[in-house]
Amino acid sequence: MRRLFLLCLFLIGLSFALFNFKGLASKGDFESIVLDFRENVPASQISAQVQAIAQQYNVTPRLNSEFSKSDHVYIVKGDRKTLAALKKSQLAKSTEFIEPNYRYSAFEVPNDPDYSKQWNLRSIKVESAWDETKGSGVTVAVIDTGISIVPDLKDTKFVPGYDFVNDQVAAEDDSGHGTHVAGTIAQSTNNNYGVAGIAYEASLMPLKVLSSFGGGTVADIAEAIKFAADNNADVINLSLGGGGESQLLKEAVDYAYQKGVVVVAAAGNVNQNAASYPARFPHVIGVAALDATGEKAPYSNFGAGVDISAPGGAGRGAGGILQETIQPDTAEPVFVSFQGTSMAAPHVAGVAALVKAAGVEEPDQVLSVLKQSSLVIQDDALNYFGAGQIDAGAAVKLAMHGQISFKDFFRWLRDNGYLNPRFWIDGGAIALLPKMAMVLGSYLLAWVLRVYFPFTWSWSLFNGLVAGSSGLFFLRGFYIFDLPQWPFRVLGSSIPELGNAIAGSHALNPLFASVLIPLGLIALLLGHRSWKWFAIGSCLGVASCLVVSALVSPTVWGLGSGILAQIFLIANALLCYELAALATKGEQTA
Amino acid sequence: MSITLTGTIERNHMGAGTWALVTDDGVTYEVHKGAAKDLLKSGQKVKVQGQVREDVMTFAMIGPVLEVKSFEVISSD
Repeated sequence: MRRLFLLCLFLIGLSFALFNFKGLASKGDFESIVLDFRENVPASQISAQVQAIAQQYNVTPRLNSEFSKSDHVYIVKGDRKTLAALKKSQLAKSTEFIEPNYRYSAFEVPNDPDYSKQWNLRSIKVESAWDETKGSGVTVAVIDTGISIVPDLKDTKFVPGYDFVNDQVAAEDDSGHGTHVAGTIAQSTNNNYGVAGIAYEASLMPLKVLSSFGGGTVADIAEAIKFAADNNADVINLSLGGGGESQLLKEAVDYAYQKGVVVVAAAGNVNQNAASYPARFPHVIGVAALDATGEKAPYSNFGAGVDISAPGGAGRGAGGILQETIQPDTAEPVFVSFQGTSMAAPHVAGVAALVKAAGVEEPDQVLSVLKQSSLVIQDDALNYFGAGQIDAGAAVKLAMHGQISFKDFFRWLRDNGYLNPRFWIDGGAIALLPKMAMVLGSYLLAWVLRVYFPFTWSWSLFNGLVAGSSGLFFLRGFYIFDLPQWPFRVLGSSIPELGNAIAGSHALNPLFASVLIPLGLIALLLGHRSWKWFAIGSCLGVASCLVVSALVSPTVWGLGSGILAQIFLIANALLCYELAALATKGEQTA
Repeated sequence: MSITLTGTIERNHMGAGTWALVTDDGVTYEVHKGAAKDLLKSGQKVKVQGQVREDVMTFAMIGPVLEVKSFEVISSD
């Protein structure tokens, strides 16, 4: 009866897995189809069939590249219907396979049609930052001419702001400047319209201090900074400046800083040595402007007060920064390129929002992440660039480094199949808790190691972690009629348990439950680029398994199940961890 | 403190754009809001009497902010 029950579970699990697999495959994006003709089909027959396809489906099959000829790999344009029809046709018999020509992309590329014109976003490597965060949960105050909700800000989140010029709650833009700046920070992105923004899942707080003419008083600006700090803004963008050192403004900046707000300001557009106020105050990140080639923009201030540089553009054509804003005279929405340190500052504010969303809170730490991750520009005697050109991707990675994020962990669980329903159904058949502890423990060890020796998570490492800590342990619950159970036990065992899996004993074999196998794996695989990570992963997995075993069921052949066995297991776990640390360290210095 | 300057009025394309007075010795002032329409003509040579507003900041950040009190046109373009 129990066997029948388990068989049912197995079938349910299998159908879940197949169902999920199909779901994944249908998500792929393709516009063309690959036809791989069999090698033994003569060229004349292929060309005849290619002709036939051309006529029947009104498409032109072509070789994928000049290298495809020997493999007979052809590409035709088509969608799912064409794919299904081709698979059913006579043609299928002459091919090895017919499959969608999926488009793979390394990073998240937004579908905004004019994203290709945003050289500035590519130059700060924002796509690799988007892999981790888009700024969700962070509020950026834009202290400027106000913000009008143009079509490309429709999907952007807003929190209430204030208009200090007209003393009213609604802070509409009547100049076009503030809306443009807001667009760089959080233009609605992936909405099939217009252009992209940097932290497009962040919320914007519109604060109007500049009139339609573009000027405003330090009293209003200081009040707006305090308003932002009191209303939970995380980042303040000040694309404005002037020559006057105002004590009131300085105090407002210090107040915001004390409350943990990152304050970013434009360096000014006089091409002079020294940033204007407020960029030159302490606790304000002063931003100089770069042109599309990464050189100092001709107008940008430099020298004292410049902390970092970002794209500000040059000219109002393709070399400028493109966002959607309003025509000041008609209030109609318009896509237009602006230039200035005004445009550079919101790049830094946007990236600061991403860094905050990645978990770095304190303003000093945010600045230090931005500076450390920036692209250093050599021979900068006059401090044109501060710490260098801002790099969103590197900044977010540096911010994530050393933090257990839920996303990290979730991704790891998913990648290892632990979110598969089959796992939960079958996992119930064996001791689940110690196994989970072993897997989680190995993850924690890998994380600790990454803090000291940064490395990239890889499939090999994950597989090593699983093999070392738990094996494919749900398999241990499989009992199939007329089949010996031991292969499932072996597949379902971690490395330390292998020594007792075949015999089906619970006592650990001291040769397997030790540092010996990880040592052997490291010795064998250290020279290989990716398999090495399997070895390192298995070291950490074994370490975790041994620690959990020492705490939960410390039974070792010849050592009993007392303190002696526990010391043996813990000592070997430490050796495994050290081994992994040494192997990773080697990677750092290599 | 009132100052008198002579120079050329120019449309400056920094940020959303603004009006500038570039003096004969090459210093750029940003013309503060409220200046007469007759003054704001690109290429116009003018003699301006006004005051630098230390308490005003702008998005253009092209130089000191000049509040024009009075002006006379020297020559228009």
